[in-house]
Amino acid sequence: MEKSILSTSGKPGKPLRKVTGKRDMLSISPTANSILNAGFIFFSLLTLIPIWIVVISSITKESSLAANGYRLWPEEFSVAAYKFLFGQGSIVGIAYKNTLISTVAGTVLAVISVGLYAYPLSRPNFKFKGFFTFYAFFTMLFSGGLVSYFMVMRQVLNINDTLWALFLPSSFSAFWVIVMTTFYRANVPNEVIESARMDGAGEWRTLIQIVVPLALPGLATVALFAAIGIWNNFYNCLLLVDEAKYYSLQFTIYTTLNNIRFLLENAEKMPGIVNLSELPSETFRMAMAVVTVGPIIFAYPFFQRYFIRGLTIGAVKG
Amino acid sequence: MSIETTTAASPAPIKKKGGWGRDKIYSNLSYLTMVLPGAIFLLLFNYLPMPGILLAFKTYRLSRPPEGYWLQNKFFYSLLNSPWSGFENFRYLTLPTNIDSTLTYIRNTVVYNLVFMVIGLVLSVLLAVLIFELTNRFMAKLYHSIFFLPFFISWIVVAYVVYALGSNMGIINSIIVPMGFEKLEVYKTAAAWPIIFVVANIWKYTGNGSIIYLATITGIDRELYEAAAIDGAGKWKQFMHITLPHLIPIIVLLQILAVGRIFGSDFDMFYTLPNGAALVKDVTYTLDVFVYNMLRSSTPIGYPSAAAFVQSVVGFVLILVTNFIVRKTRPELALF
Repeated sequence: MEKSILSTSGKPGKPLRKVTGKRDMLSISPTANSILNAGFIFFSLLTLIPIWIVVISSITKESSLAANGYRLWPEEFSVAAYKFLFGQGSIVGIAYKNTLISTVAGTVLAVISVGLYAYPLSRPNFKFKGFFTFYAFFTMLFSGGLVSYFMVMRQVLNINDTLWALFLPSSFSAFWVIVMTTFYRANVPNEVIESARMDGAGEWRTLIQIVVPLALPGLATVALFAAIGIWNNFYNCLLLVDEAKYYSLQFTIYTTLNNIRFLLENAEKMPGIVNLSELPSETFRMAMAVVTVGPIIFAYPFFQRYFIRGLTIGAVKG
Repeated sequence: MSIETTTAASPAPIKKKGGWGRDKIYSNLSYLTMVLPGAIFLLLFNYLPMPGILLAFKTYRLSRPPEGYWLQNKFFYSLLNSPWSGFENFRYLTLPTNIDSTLTYIRNTVVYNLVFMVIGLVLSVLLAVLIFELTNRFMAKLYHSIFFLPFFISWIVVAYVVYALGSNMGIINSIIVPMGFEKLEVYKTAAAWPIIFVVANIWKYTGNGSIIYLATITGIDRELYEAAAIDGAGKWKQFMHITLPHLIPIIVLLQILAVGRIFGSDFDMFYTLPNGAALVKDVTYTLDVFVYNMLRSSTPIGYPSAAAFVQSVVGFVLILVTNFIVRKTRPELALF
């Protein structure tokens, strides 16, 4: 089950299927193949269009956008929105910094805590394996609910209105533990660990010097799960942060969109009260969306392989 | 409450039933220290909120613990000492003035989930099967990468896409208005939202959903197909008799988990895409959004707690029941 055509095994050269010199008997006919390809190209374009719209409107000249509305190809280009975005005192700058710090901190935390938690669960000689497996697994089945979570974070752990709120609740998950446990089992041979033990290395030393180097791809997967999760996280900021200086990127761009829509609707009802010229421009908003997804899209070709492996491993019953 | 006190990861030498014996702890000490950070983490963020589920049966009154009281925390002290109210909070949700909206939000949650489950399953399997049929490996990878990409794009950015497409000056209007159609005001048109959610859901999750099926299909022995082809089985028969039976275990597993989430929802999607548009509330509010909005309003927190209780407990029970049924019929497919 861990074999996948998308080279999740980490061997990029692995063929999709055994390709013999001539077309093998299971292949579909060339006509069917062309039709299938045409369909795939169509739906691929359809999938990319929404992303395209956001990117292209962010580099459209504002006046052109105001006159013609959103277009798939603008009449005039402009990068003014980006200049404004990274200009002085921009709210996006603060949010960007917050999200960047949280993502890095949360990812480091996730890799360490998940890597540590999963290792004993993968060892046959850990006597509390059953207990700690259930202890993690149970959290996937049952939760205290939103209200209780909200109260505990705010009145017991007191992490509201801090940067911690943006990443701490998202830096550990039972699902990642399952992925990592399975990874250790599949990729770290028991003999290697046993021989390290024979040589007198303790559990900690064995883990750090022998196991971790072998488990790096698995840890990379956990890092990615955590990094993407925190980068895209909106919920924690919505629930736990009231002060603007701790806003995350996703939350900031959401409130911007929300405020503007509200103002525009009221401007229709009460002309004169809302001064539309003071609103951030449409292109500015789209530029905000672009800088939010930008890093993910740029990194995507490099990380998707690890992500796929993680998802594939995680679904194998551990 | 009992969970957290008994599971608190303190390796205290409790000598009971041989479970946590001193020798056993000592011989596993380094393993236990490794588990410790994660265990503390789960304790704080997952187990600590669990007793709060009782808020649903209380009239919560915030009060400060008296000095010297054993529990020096405002929230837990208030939770313990607030009077029980039986099913009073649940009754509020079913008052004649509220029953309609409560039922509407439950309906939205369940129906959207069922639709997403069915469509997601069918399309993900279809995508996996078709990608596997492609003869060109490079193109297969490229297509899959494209379909997988939306998974990484946050719902908030998708909300911008919805805005760019559907707002007054959006692309849809710039196409349909010159054609003579009436202007579409997405944030005021209830009928648009089920379509938006379904399309957005397909867009975001199909590529992701297909990964596990694709991996499973790749693992199937090719000789099975060759034998079937020699016996004259076409692609459809091969799918029904070889591919599908191989996919069943993973499908069942994922559906059990999905059933457990049937009262939950993709909060970010339902909350951010409509962008707080009040006019389309009846088709965009799910229980999650409902609970959040009640929590942030001036209603006593017992009411959202009651709704959240239903979500957690019903979800949990559903998972147990589904798993029980699966275990009785096909024990090898059960989750636990």
